[in-house]
Order: sequence, then C-alpha cells, then structure tokens
Amino acid sequence: MNILRWWGGILVAFALLAVMRIFLPLPFVNEVMIFSIYTMGCNFLLGRVGFISFGQPAYLAAGAYATAFYLFYFGTNPYIGLLVGIAGGALVSLVVGPLFVRLRSDYFALVNLALAVIIFYLMQKVLAGITQGDNGLWFLTNIASTPVLDLSKPNEFFIFVFIVALAVWAFYKYLDDTIYGACCLGTKVNEDKVRFLGYSNFKIRLTAFVIANTTTALAGALYAIYLGFVSPEISSPSRAADPVVVTILGGVGTLYGPIVGAVAYTGMKDLISNLIGNWELFIGLLLVIIMLAGEKGIWGTLEPRLKKLVFRGRGAPTVNEGKARVG
Amino acid sequence: MMDTQLLIAGVIFGLSIGSIFFLMAIGLSLCFGLMRIISLDQLLYYSIGAYITYSVSLATGSMWLGVLCGLAMGGITSFAVERLVFRRIYERDITFSMITSFGILIGGVGVIKFFWGLVPRPVPIPIDAQVGIFGTDIPVYRLVVIVIALLVYAGIWLFLNRTIIGKAIRAGIENVEHVEGLGINVSRLFTITFIIAGTLSGLAGGLHAPLIMVDPQMGLEVLAFVFMVVIIGGLGSIKGTLVSAFLVGQVVSLGSLVYAPLAQMAPFAIMLLILLVKPTGLYGSTLVKR
Repeated sequence: MNILRWWGGILVAFALLAVMRIFLPLPFVNEVMIFSIYTMGCNFLLGRVGFISFGQPAYLAAGAYATAFYLFYFGTNPYIGLLVGIAGGALVSLVVGPLFVRLRSDYFALVNLALAVIIFYLMQKVLAGITQGDNGLWFLTNIASTPVLDLSKPNEFFIFVFIVALAVWAFYKYLDDTIYGACCLGTKVNEDKVRFLGYSNFKIRLTAFVIANTTTALAGALYAIYLGFVSPEISSPSRAADPVVVTILGGVGTLYGPIVGAVAYTGMKDLISNLIGNWELFIGLLLVIIMLAGEKGIWGTLEPRLKKLVFRGRGAPTVNEGKARVG
Repeated sequence: MMDTQLLIAGVIFGLSIGSIFFLMAIGLSLCFGLMRIISLDQLLYYSIGAYITYSVSLATGSMWLGVLCGLAMGGITSFAVERLVFRRIYERDITFSMITSFGILIGGVGVIKFFWGLVPRPVPIPIDAQVGIFGTDIPVYRLVVIVIALLVYAGIWLFLNRTIIGKAIRAGIENVEHVEGLGINVSRLFTITFIIAGTLSGLAGGLHAPLIMVDPQMGLEVLAFVFMVVIIGGLGSIKGTLVSAFLVGQVVSLGSLVYAPLAQMAPFAIMLLILLVKPTGLYGSTLVKR
C-alpha cells in the first residue's frame, strides 16, 4: 500500500502525459518532456539546496555539444551519444562546481550566468572551427537506427524520453526520502546546524550541484538527439531564465512542479507567439505577478485544493508530501 | 611587441567601455548595498536610455538632448517600478528580488520590441572630431564618455560623503535598523537610491548608444560584463566598482588586440581567479543577508 502511495501521484501525472500524447501533436509533447527534465535539475537546486542558477543553459549546452561532437565526428549510436553527453555535463560541473558552490547564493547566480555567456561565445567564436559557429552542427542523418527503441523516429523517441523522465523523477523522489535529501534541505535552511551535526556543507552542495547539472546535461543530450542539430543558440543568455521561470511557474521545490510548469510554459509559448508574437512581455509580467502573489506557482496553488478534493470522502489527508517539504 | 599607436587606442577604448560598465554597475552595487536586492532591471533602464536617445536625437537632431531625456526616462521608469514592485519585496529573500527583476527585464524587453521593433537602430556620434594623443588619433567622444564617468564618480562620492541623505545611505549600508531608529525615513531612502541607480543606467545607455547599435537585446548583451564588474569589485562597494569596471574594460579591449575571442573569455578567467582568492570580490565586505 505504501509503495502504491509513493508511486500514486506520479503514475497519475505520467498517465496524463501519456494521454496528452494522443490529443496533442508529438513535437509539443516531446518538447514538454525534455523541458521537464531540464527543469527538474533547476528545481532541485532552487527548491532543495537554495541555489538559484541563471546559468543552466551552460550545462544544457555542455550536454548537447558533447553528444553532438560524438554523433558528428565519431559515432552513429545515439545511446552512446547520450552517455557521452551525460559524461560531458558531469565533467563540466565537476570542474566548476568546487569553485562555485563556495560562493554565497547571490554571487552563485551571477557567476553561473557569466559561465553561460562564456560557453555561448566559446561555441560561437572561439571553437568555431569545430562547432561551425552560428551554423551549428547538423547530424540528423548520422544517427543510426537502433534495435528495441529507435531514437531516430520521433514516435519511439517519445517512449524513450517518457521512460527517462519517469526515471529521473523517481530518482529525485528517492533522493528526497534519503538522509542526503534532508541534508540538502538542511543546508538551505540553516547551514550552521548542518555543520554542528557533522556534515560538510561543501560536500553536500557539490554533490547536489553535480547531480542537478548532470540532469540538465541529460536534457541537453536529449535535445541534441531529438533535433539532430545543435547551435550556440542553446546556451544563449536570453534564454537563461527559462528553467527558473518554469520552476517558479510550476512551484518551487514541489515534485510535480517541473512537469506542470513545462506543460504550462511550452503551451503558453506556442499559443501566445502564434497570437501576438510578443511573448516576452507576457512571460515577464507573469513572472512578476507570480512572485508578488507569493511565489507558490501553479502547482503550489493547486496542490492543497486537489488534496481537499481527493481526500474529501476519506477524512484528513495522511500523505503530507510536498507541502511539508516546500522550503 | 604591440604597436604603440594600437596600444594607446586600445587603452582609451578600454577606458571608455569601462566607463559605461561603471555607470551601470554602480546601480546594481548601490541597490545591493542598501536594500540587499539584486536589481537586474537596471539593464532595462539602460536599454530604455539608449532607445529614448535614439528617438529624441532622430526627432531633434541633438544627441545630448536625447541623453538627457534618456536618463530622465530611466529615472521615471525606475521610480514607477520601485513603487509598484520592489516596495513589496524588500523584506523577502535576495533570490526573490533577482527573479522578480529578471521578470521585469524580460517584460521590458517585450515592451521595447512592441514600440521600436526588432531592427537594430544606429545613433549618430555627436562629436566627429579626433584628437591626437602621442601621435594617435582618438575620437573625442570616447574621451567625453570617460570624463562623464569620472564626474559621476566624483558626484556620487560627494553625495555620499557630504550630504545628509548620502550619509544616511552610507549608514544604511552598514546597518539599516539603526538608521531607522534615528527617525530617518528609510523607505524614502530606498526610493532615492533606486532612482539614482535607474538614472545612471539610463545615462549609460544613452552614452553607449552612438558606440554600438541600439537593439532590444542590448541589455542582455552587456549583462555578463556588468555582472563580472560587480562581482570582481565586490557587491556594495563604489570604489571597487570603479576599479573593476576599468579593469574589465582594459581586459576586454587589450585582450581583443592580442586575440579577438579573448575579449569575452579573459574577464571571466580573471573573475574566477579573484573569486578563488577572495570569494566576496576585491572590495566586497562580508555582508550577509540581514
């Protein structure tokens, strides 16, 4: 019964995503899935460790370009490309992590954004010989068909990305229940107490940083394989706020937040840019309004009401997950 | 060895670009020092200043009038934003202000796109004259920009050290509760500081406009450099901001003489180096969120 409860919410959420697949166009659903993986990393950093990062595109680009390099120059197997992308992201975050996590959270955000800009210029100008600058790397035809799940077909790519998103989500959910997850929340709320208990804040933060950014790199690698194309635009500073916006849109620190946020954000982006073409104005206003209204986001506002609805017949809610953990 | 003429031109170029960075970074730095907010919307006032300069100089033919209107508009917009938004969030966490101001920045870029469209606009340089320094021709306009930045620094210094309001602001940077306890209206102090910051950002935009093309994304393009200036100098320190602005300006300018892509990379490397030695920047104190 406990296991069922552990899985209950997410099975419903992902079932809804699967249903979405039937009613909505495939590219939209694919983008939502990848975007929610992208956001999960940011959500973990912001909601659990209290680090706000405007530099997520840097790690997204690290993953995407590592995959692109492999598929463009060396091999044809997208699965290996995916692994290369993950390794690339982990490497970058391991190199910059020890430097960055020592900083206060305000400096942290600024330094990360600077890193995103640097990677953007690195890919656009400095390494133009390898990355072909603004033209980007095109390798859609290089991706070989694979047995079982053929990633070169959008249809089967959806199934794969679905499984990956579910796995990533389950991983974060598992992390929440471990002592390590509690430590993360501890460093956010009161780092002195964590130190008194004998844990190293630095190690906790570094691990969290690497985990979150490897997730982001995974999303980057998925983007690369899905689009078959990578350009410096992926780490463009003007898109730096996207994951933060989605995280806040969905609700910071909630487990379903990234999925809700990704659906809402991608949907709005498509709808509004079709209607008026000036969607920055709208998203900026929305962000300010959500922040002023109490930064709970869509899911954070909906959750208590949904609970009431579901548990009305069965007395008080027993599962207090999410609400108790929202930092 | 590098050509001397090229070197002199490079140094002047670096000083002028550093001046622009300084004018923008000072707003971020002051806001952080006094209100403990990170006000990314300063980059919006910079874009607004540049666009107003473009429109006014197109209409009247005088670029200096445009700069005046631009800085006034920067001040007015920042006043409105402070009243509508920031007033409600001073009490909140610092990341909160960062996200909110980023929302304002993106929203503002949307407004700019609505009014002026996506096409980059040129602004004519008001002073075409060149002046010879050690046998190198230097555009006078760049020297004027440097002089204006130094005047602003002197003005800010005098304001903070010689006037009551300035002294109150400095005291507020140390401890805002004590200032409040002395019966000084702190919320008015905040408004004044925010307007000063917005006005200076508008001025930076207006002065920068003739040197580059004015386009909706211009704020986001200088974002990284302004951040680096603020981080290297230390959040909340005026002197540190001046030093690091000129440092970053020189690194950008001289770096691009040695190897073009270095212009964007070198400041980042320097920033990492300084953060390694001193995580709060050159002149930053160990101020934490109160």
